[in-house]
Amino acid sequence: MGQAELEERLFELVGYMVTSGRNLLDETPLYGPFRLLDAASRLILLLEDEEIISSRLSTIRERIDAGKYSVMTSPGEFRTFLDSLVDALVDHMNPGKEKGGDQLGKRTEISRG
Amino acid sequence: MDLQDAIRGRRSIRAFRNEEVPRDLLAQLIEAAIWAPSASNAQTWRFVIATEPKRIRSIKTVSPGLLGDPAAVIAVCQDLAAARERGGTLGETFLAPVDAAMATENLLLAAYAEGLGTCVIASFHRGAVGRVLGLPEGIEPMLLVSVGWPAEAPPAPSRSREGRVFFEVYNGSG
Repeated sequence: MGQAELEERLFELVGYMVTSGRNLLDETPLYGPFRLLDAASRLILLLEDEEIISSRLSTIRERIDAGKYSVMTSPGEFRTFLDSLVDALVDHMNPGKEKGGDQLGKRTEISRG
Repeated sequence: MDLQDAIRGRRSIRAFRNEEVPRDLLAQLIEAAIWAPSASNAQTWRFVIATEPKRIRSIKTVSPGLLGDPAAVIAVCQDLAAARERGGTLGETFLAPVDAAMATENLLLAAYAEGLGTCVIASFHRGAVGRVLGLPEGIEPMLLVSVGWPAEAPPAPSRSREGRVFFEVYNGSG
């Protein structure tokens, strides 16, 4: 993708987000999370097309695209889908694999260069 | 195509193949639309068909409800001054959007009969779309319809009847 096409697609994404912000004043509140998800999906797709590849972002985009339209059919299913998506995000943060945190009163000094 | 099959088979399509829709086919859809009923036979609807990719992208930028990349976008508009002249305040505020909706349904069914996919979009910025399409003052876009060759076949959401349909006298909850 050339610079001009990239700028055009970013402009379109910003336009989508700005217009969504305006329209959501009058639309069903359920469309708020839907637009945010869709914007995230569009952003990840744009990065993929720019060959900025992240397997975890691509996985999230695929999950978004597979489940986002449940907003049209079942608010309950949409809520469950959103929860599962947040769970998946946390999975991709690799939680619980860091070293143990500091205990109260035994704080490790942070070295300052 | 059998009418009942068309009514039950039509779905909202949000993924399209990258193929053009011939201009005469689009004209056929409009022909179906204008055979819809209109209050007082006002026929104050107006249609603008966008097929240029750049224009469709511009419309999409200000239309959050327009999903996928359709070959065409049809703006179903109303001449509100004409609607007011024909039907008074009721004509302008109520009958005009109702007429636009009835015309749109005809358009959707005609498209489905031709194997085309469509989706009705109400989530768009009316002023911005009006500017992209060069609509003059008084010509109001009521609905957008994305049109293209479908790349998906979504399942039909269930239809509820209980508590919604009554003969003679309403007998449901308020």
